[in-house]
Amino acid sequence: MRVLLKMNNLQEYLAGLLDDPCNEVVEQAVAYGMIPLGYTCSLIPEPVLSAGRLFPLRLRAPGVSGTETADIYLSSVICSYTRSLLELALDSKYDFLKGWVFAASCDHLRRLYDNLGYLNKPEFSFILDVPHKNNEAAMEWLELELEKLRTALSSHFNIDMSDEVISTSIKENNIMLAELRSIGDMRKEAMPLFTGTEFHRLMMALQAAPRKLLSDIPGRFRDAALKRGGAGKFRARFMIVGGELDDPAYTGVIESMGGRVVADRYCTGSFPGLEPISESGKPLAAIALYILEKNRCPRMMEEFDRRADYIINIAREYSADGIIIQTIKFCDTWGVESSLLVAALRDAGIPVLRLEREYRTGGEGQLRTRVQAFIESMKK
Amino acid sequence: MFVSGVDVGSLTSKAVIMKDDRIVKSVIIKSKARPWESADEVMDMALARAGLDRKDIKNCVGTGYGRDKISFIDEAVSEIACHGRGARWLVPSVRTVIDIGGQDCKAIRLDAKGDMMKFITNDKCASGTGRFLEVMAKVMNLDLDELGEMSARSKQPVTFASACTVWAQADVIQQLNDKVPIEDIAAGVNNAMASRMAILANSIGLENDVCMTGGVAKNNGVVNALEKHLGIRIKRIRREDPQIAGAIGAALFAMEKASGGVI
Repeated sequence: MRVLLKMNNLQEYLAGLLDDPCNEVVEQAVAYGMIPLGYTCSLIPEPVLSAGRLFPLRLRAPGVSGTETADIYLSSVICSYTRSLLELALDSKYDFLKGWVFAASCDHLRRLYDNLGYLNKPEFSFILDVPHKNNEAAMEWLELELEKLRTALSSHFNIDMSDEVISTSIKENNIMLAELRSIGDMRKEAMPLFTGTEFHRLMMALQAAPRKLLSDIPGRFRDAALKRGGAGKFRARFMIVGGELDDPAYTGVIESMGGRVVADRYCTGSFPGLEPISESGKPLAAIALYILEKNRCPRMMEEFDRRADYIINIAREYSADGIIIQTIKFCDTWGVESSLLVAALRDAGIPVLRLEREYRTGGEGQLRTRVQAFIESMKK
Repeated sequence: MFVSGVDVGSLTSKAVIMKDDRIVKSVIIKSKARPWESADEVMDMALARAGLDRKDIKNCVGTGYGRDKISFIDEAVSEIACHGRGARWLVPSVRTVIDIGGQDCKAIRLDAKGDMMKFITNDKCASGTGRFLEVMAKVMNLDLDELGEMSARSKQPVTFASACTVWAQADVIQQLNDKVPIEDIAAGVNNAMASRMAILANSIGLENDVCMTGGVAKNNGVVNALEKHLGIRIKRIRREDPQIAGAIGAALFAMEKASGGVI
């Protein structure tokens, strides 16, 4: 690996990992005999997909320029994230994957699972049925589902997926999460040492390549940030909230207008993704509990107040001046949630800007205008 | 002390020169492909007509989609804030501003002091923007000005199934082929535009007084239809051309800055 002592060099390296679904670290891992598994949702437990020689890759569609082929198979009211993934899948961009793991998180991604089965069947494909409620019966159900996933992975790839192996995976995962959490906490400072875009890029790179091969990256990020000593001036501190957001360029546009993103609650972000999983008891039970307790996904029923309070508390803890809610067009889950959320956040006295977007970052002029006007409306 | 505001929009560019809260000169031109060329041309025209030079301008604020590309401005402010500020100057009692520009539309709520409280803008769809009217006028072989006037002569406005620019265009062609009176088609176009705008305006919560800015504010057909849709009276801007509201707002921000204020 190149010497990555300066933040600019490190960021350039991380950005390079995000240019293509299959980057140099993934290629290196495959050459070592590791097995890449794609997944599409935060409800899928990374420690299970990291057991033994397996490694998880959060599926993104970098470089997608249109979804002409996917549009033939998916209706126009399916979100552009789903359509972009299918487009690249049909374009053989994910052929390096040895398997796909889905969660029945929303109907759109379920259609992707169905269509992949017809059109470009992966050699391994599994859909995890996650309950919509958090109670005892849901716990039992989810534990059984995780058991099915373990059995399927173990028999298909002929690998040891015993409790001991998964427990080790949880421990390793927790170490990385703790490191990222402590870096994320640095955003509470009045003048954070890194930008939200830089942190977003770090988070995405660690989901786009095997973490085992990038274990030194968080430490390098922290050192580079400390060495640089500051990330420049800004006018307002923001928290970004919403569903899938895997392109740091979007955060970059927001920050280019004077914003500084200090907290995030989106599917690929740091909240609620960095809490540790319990290392005691049966590992699959601990994972099931973690998924049901920590996910804060709007697909979960009867938990709106808990989710809204979670966001409000983080915004206050990280001194966010305002919250930007971004949702991908036609995302039913976040579309409904964001309407309720706008009212709840305003009632809490937090300025809110709601943005609807396509998966691929575009319409920058309009985005810049809205963000600038939002900052101006806050008298910042 | 002279100050100026330059609003480089997607279809037109506007420049306003002000002195002592009074407009000295204003100019509107069609925008060029490159925003900085539009800004240079419109500003130079305004200066020439006012008999001034660039060095006579104490402060200049740029706004509009091309604002970041203007080399001679002192500061860039969003067009949302500028339209709010400009509308307040044009109609001091205004609390809600509806601006329909060439390729976007926005509704802005102002507080009692005239500061922007909240706003909402259209998505990337052209429906509900000046572009919608432009496309329809072209299909009907009319000038934009004529389109507005025709609503008053309509006896039976047509109803379009969709406010989508593409579908409405196909509907207009169908109506023309069916020899429907052009006044009725034009009134239908203005109504479709107003209904789309009403959805946006209602979503922000209207508060009186309401006024319209932007080029479409000069289309009486749309303004009258919007009043019906919203069930309120829209205050007409008579002090100046409503199309230059953004540039006026920019000039007012420039005046504030030149007087030592912070934008």
